[in-house]
Amino acid sequence: MTDRTAELVAERELAPEEIAAALAELGLAVRAADADTIERVYLDTFDGLLHAEGLTLRWQRGQLELLPAGRGDIPFAAAACPDPAGPLPVAQLSPGPLRDALHPVIDVRALLALARVRVHSTPLAVLDALDKTVARLAVETPALVSGSGREALLRPRLRLAGVRGYERELALVRDRLSGALGLEPAGATLADEAVRAAGGRPEGTGAKVDVALDANERADAAAAAVLSRMLEIADDNLPGTIADTDSEFLHDYRVSVRRSRAVLRELKGVFPPGELGELRAELRWLQQVTGPSRDLDVYVLEFDATRALVPGEERAELEPLRAVLGGRRLVARRQMVQELRSPRAVGARARWGSMLERLVALPGEDRPDATAPIGELAAARIRRVYRRMVRMGRAIGPDSPAEEYHELRKQGKELRYLLELLGVPLFDAGVVKPMIRALKGLQDVLGRHQDREVQTATLRALADEVSALPGGPACLIAMGVLVDRLERDAAAARAEFADAFASFASAEQRARVRKAFGA
Amino acid sequence: MSIVLATYNIKGGVGKTSAAVNLAYLAARGGHRTLLWDLDPQAASTFLFRVRPKLRGGARKLVRMHAPVVQQIKGTDHDRLDLLPADFSLRHLDLALDAFKRPTTRLARVLESVTPDYDYVFLDCPPSISLVSESVFEAADALLVPVIPATLSSRTFEQLEELTGDDTSGGPVQVLAFFSMVEARRALHRGAMARLREVHHLTMLGAAIPASEDVERMGDERNPVAVFAPGSIAAVSYEALWWDVQRRMRAGR
Ligand SMILES: Nc1ncnc2c1ncn2[C@@H]1O[C@H](COP(=O)(O)OP(=O)(O)OP(=O)(O)O)[C@@H](O)[C@H]1O
Ligand SMILES: [Mg+2]
Repeated sequence: MTDRTAELVAERELAPEEIAAALAELGLAVRAADADTIERVYLDTFDGLLHAEGLTLRWQRGQLELLPAGRGDIPFAAAACPDPAGPLPVAQLSPGPLRDALHPVIDVRALLALARVRVHSTPLAVLDALDKTVARLAVETPALVSGSGREALLRPRLRLAGVRGYERELALVRDRLSGALGLEPAGATLADEAVRAAGGRPEGTGAKVDVALDANERADAAAAAVLSRMLEIADDNLPGTIADTDSEFLHDYRVSVRRSRAVLRELKGVFPPGELGELRAELRWLQQVTGPSRDLDVYVLEFDATRALVPGEERAELEPLRAVLGGRRLVARRQMVQELRSPRAVGARARWGSMLERLVALPGEDRPDATAPIGELAAARIRRVYRRMVRMGRAIGPDSPAEEYHELRKQGKELRYLLELLGVPLFDAGVVKPMIRALKGLQDVLGRHQDREVQTATLRALADEVSALPGGPACLIAMGVLVDRLERDAAAARAEFADAFASFASAEQRARVRKAFGA
Repeated sequence: MSIVLATYNIKGGVGKTSAAVNLAYLAARGGHRTLLWDLDPQAASTFLFRVRPKLRGGARKLVRMHAPVVQQIKGTDHDRLDLLPADFSLRHLDLALDAFKRPTTRLARVLESVTPDYDYVFLDCPPSISLVSESVFEAADALLVPVIPATLSSRTFEQLEELTGDDTSGGPVQVLAFFSMVEARRALHRGAMARLREVHHLTMLGAAIPASEDVERMGDERNPVAVFAPGSIAAVSYEALWWDVQRRMRAGR
């Protein structure tokens, strides 16, 4: 059993003979087994979820294999799988240990082939005087294989694996070979090196904003920094949105547009009014044209969870609904993709970028807040939206119309973005974090309430289409049950509102807000 | 839970070690994490796996578990197959066990400290009746007993029954016997096999190991037969035996 491993890299090709010569001086012999060349593909999600967990997923010899970091070459789960050319959703894997291990980590994200390598490898056994194997080596010559099939050599590697009970020998072998052949410990795994060589990022492309700000910097510079990062996120996620790689691309794209709109609205005094108006209109339009697709993504993703609201016998009857939703989703996607590729969308993207680039240099007379310290401006906005929410929330009771709840939720989103984008980098975490937590609690209740209302309305709107299908009448009955459950859940959310709001607007919380953001 | 199998016979030189080494190798090759514990001071299995016969601190230290038992384990040249080696100090294993209040349960305790790491554990026992063999009967899920077909072999079964019958820990240990060193051309062997199969049809496994030069060559090759003579009659026979043993163990669970 292999207990310890090490990986060394060389700047030049390694010959098994030099290794044998270097180890002979330790009284150890080397026996080579047959060399072998394999093709391998490394996979991860777009945002590097596996990498973040220290996991490597590779495909080779018709098998997908999941390897934990630092435990050598032994997969802890594997499954047969064809060569992964396109994106691979976890649901497409056959049920079993591999899928079970991956699912909690990657959830709805698809696995993407990030790099393809061809590895020529010669296994060597290191033998002591008894001819006993005391360590195992593999000399690997990896090459990156490009889309056109061309190969680019990567640094040769020497992989060492210990044999239990021979740890001392492993250390001797490693030190000896490092010294004699000038090898370095491999800082990165072959997977990381290959992904980087292929032009990718092993750690993935995240959608975190995380822009460092200084409370004293000019508000327009700060706004441009935050907005530029969000534009970058939108750009990162547009290709996957159009290709329908997985549902998170569209989600992250939309979050980025929505957050940008919040910043444009809240910090309007730092932008030139004319351009601001145009840009806001364009972003609103982008939000609109991507909305139906996202809604239907959510329906399809949450179909099983929603369906679980109705009793067992009726669950199966809802199956025709899945098909209707799937069909609508495709239609909505087609329209969305057309819009996102249209000259209008391309123009909007160009204007968005150009305004951010020029912003700080633009004349200041029509931008009253341009040079105000961002700390002051952000505090004023946070305070203001918070107070507006407290006022609105106090006016809401169990019998208030749904629109009032929705309006409060919208303000909540605005506050959430302000806190996340400006609050976190600029103010005391001891205030901002609990505030975000209380806000989240409130938004969850409001969100559930609104989602249920929207779901109910959607189900009603689909009734005609469903009734025309085979199994339609039974499905309609089941949909009736579902609508009833959704309405009950919406009512339950309303009942929970009072508590969630009370902790969001408690005297303590208000005092904290006053202290941190002024009053 | 790992399955513990002990090759045992009161008689010496009947093929216990050869069976332990070959079956352990096949278990590991089949994907199971496998440990072979060499309990014989002669260290024949240890030798066959090219490991130095050396227990740090000797038998006493091993059963006292002052240091973790894993630290004594050596990886063999084969994937998933580890060895707990023997050395000459094991000739005092009886004495070392006798120092404990319930001497016959101690060996099982020592084993338990490493079994979570393994699917199969093989115990290669010395030929004797002693505290060690009693301890093995307690620790093992089954005894694998090589029997050379001969008129007197039925004595082996009677003795075994006597030895294992009064085990109180959880019913008597399961006994699985197989013919070893069979010379099928000899009428004497054929006759003895037929008789024993009839009387002991439940304990006697179907697979048998023929007398074979390939098994003898293990001493020079220092490898299981499947490594240096794959496809030989000996190799195939051990595979059949391993298949039989697995089937019986599955049925018994
Ligand atoms: N099937 C066989 N055919 C030919 N020779 C065999 C066979 N099985 C074992 N031998 C040989 O018989 C001798 C004893 O075998 P082995 O060591 O396996 O028996 P054992 O029961 O473990 O002996 P001990 O009681 O000394 O531990 C060895 O030299 C071995 O090579
Ligand atoms: Mg023996």
